[in-house]
Amino acid sequence: MGKRGPFYWVSVSCGIMVLAFIVLPLYELLTAPSSAMLRETLKDRNVIHSIWLSIYTSLSAASISFAIGTPLAYVLARSSFRGKHFIESIIDLPIVIPHPVVGIAILSVAGRNHWLGHIMSELGIRIMGSTTGIITVLVFVGMPFYINSVKSGIEGISPRMENVARSLGAPMWSTFVRITFPLAWRSVLVGFIMCCARAISEFGAVVVVAYHPMTAPVLIYERFEGYGLKYSQPVAVWLVIVCLSLFLVLRILALSGKKAP
Amino acid sequence: MERSHLNPAPTIFTILFFLVFVAVPLALAEPKGTVVMFHAGSLSMPFETMEKEFEAMYPGVDLQREASGSQAAARKVTDLHKPCDIVASADFKVIDKLLIPQFADLNIRFATNQLVLCYTDKSRMADKVSADNWYEILSTDGVVWGHSDPNLDPCGYRALMVLQLAEKYYGKPGLYDQMIANRPQENVRPKSVELVTLLQTGNMDYAWEYLSVAVQHGLKYVVLPEEINLGNYKHDEYYSQAVVKVTGKQPGEFMDMKGDSVTYGVTLIKDAPNKEAATAFLKYMLDPNGGLKVLQEQGQPPFIPCRIPTEEMRSLVPPELKEFVEVKN
Repeated sequence: MGKRGPFYWVSVSCGIMVLAFIVLPLYELLTAPSSAMLRETLKDRNVIHSIWLSIYTSLSAASISFAIGTPLAYVLARSSFRGKHFIESIIDLPIVIPHPVVGIAILSVAGRNHWLGHIMSELGIRIMGSTTGIITVLVFVGMPFYINSVKSGIEGISPRMENVARSLGAPMWSTFVRITFPLAWRSVLVGFIMCCARAISEFGAVVVVAYHPMTAPVLIYERFEGYGLKYSQPVAVWLVIVCLSLFLVLRILALSGKKAP
Repeated sequence: MERSHLNPAPTIFTILFFLVFVAVPLALAEPKGTVVMFHAGSLSMPFETMEKEFEAMYPGVDLQREASGSQAAARKVTDLHKPCDIVASADFKVIDKLLIPQFADLNIRFATNQLVLCYTDKSRMADKVSADNWYEILSTDGVVWGHSDPNLDPCGYRALMVLQLAEKYYGKPGLYDQMIANRPQENVRPKSVELVTLLQTGNMDYAWEYLSVAVQHGLKYVVLPEEINLGNYKHDEYYSQAVVKVTGKQPGEFMDMKGDSVTYGVTLIKDAPNKEAATAFLKYMLDPNGGLKVLQEQGQPPFIPCRIPTEEMRSLVPPELKEFVEVKN
């Protein structure tokens, strides 16, 4: 960097503002409860259960997105066809729909008044108030983040490699597994993290579909309404701590070996 | 050229005179600005109508409403310190418990309600259910029914009270436990109004609601005997036999809620940012030809006049509202 002009200082001050905007409220949250209170909260089995449920359902949602989203992301990255933009907009829909509406929409399909809900009820699958329901919601809200990340990752890989493999007689499946995926794994991991992060923070849609069993955000809400801020903050702190450490580990994994440009 | 001979002073004086003695007092007399109100979810529909009528009377005022469970409404004031003018609760005791004396002086009881068992055409056994067999249907395997969270929503603990009273009224020991055994924890939801969606989408067969909510949403419902529906304060003594344990001030702590008739309360927050307009709204709301009429039309019988517990509290009522309240416990 050469001479530090006005633009440099504008960037620096904007940067400080943005960081303070994010860090200050979080700092307030993290420092509000006393350490005794935090220890006390950790002894509460409901808290442990809800945080575990949040982690478990988010990881499940991200894994499901990985399994069914990866092939679609590949197709969208590699081929162009009529209606591609339309499909891409459909995939983005869950990002723009208000969260409670997502919950209501899923419930209306899952109810016995809908043919699909009727079949599910015959099969004994329940969405309302079940872990299945929570995972369904989380896949719905998290999937776009996964697909978009993987799609742009694959787009960044030159199709020539794949063409070479194909010209040497490798079938499409094997090309994908042996060439494309090893090159795109980082964006797959980033997509996985994004999907997970989106899922673990979801509240609005989850509380509509399942109040019990309680995920951590729902428990925080219940604690706040029932007991006030004092008893909801420690749970929030633990959720933030657990999430941060989880994502830190995943981030380190995703970035390891990658040189900063 | 001739205009320059005109002395501008009289014009300026006239304008100033108009501003100081006519426009400003008029503007001051007319309440304006925003009025913030936190209220129980079960009051959403009547307040929506009231908001329209009131804002037509006072075009300068914008009534901003937030619906939630009644306890949550009070918590927004006590814990979150959100600026607020009026809190209306589905149980007047919430105001006593959380808001008085620190955040409010008044507790005006303005309406009653009763509990009904709601269902739709598509509910299981919808063709059979009646006031004589509803408890058998709720005990039937495969019937999905629910209520709101007793710890968050008065409608939730009231639903449990109805079940307890039913055991006594119908003389069937063990009935309460038998019904509860058929209601998994997952069927308990934060707010009673949410259950309406579950009924309408076929995720649930029966749900406990206030009569007003059933009427407003066009649901089918079973009307229960007066002795157990919590709708008539003449039966308060009978109702008091029902006791429900709800969470107390901190996790792990519990307190007992005793059965009582369903009575709605409203209060003016002490440091209301717009007291003048808030009082104007209460004046409209407590008027038998204003808000109380709307409540009546929407299945929520009002108290005419509204009630306040003590003479001492009545002395704290703003003068504009005094004619609409009587001291009655």
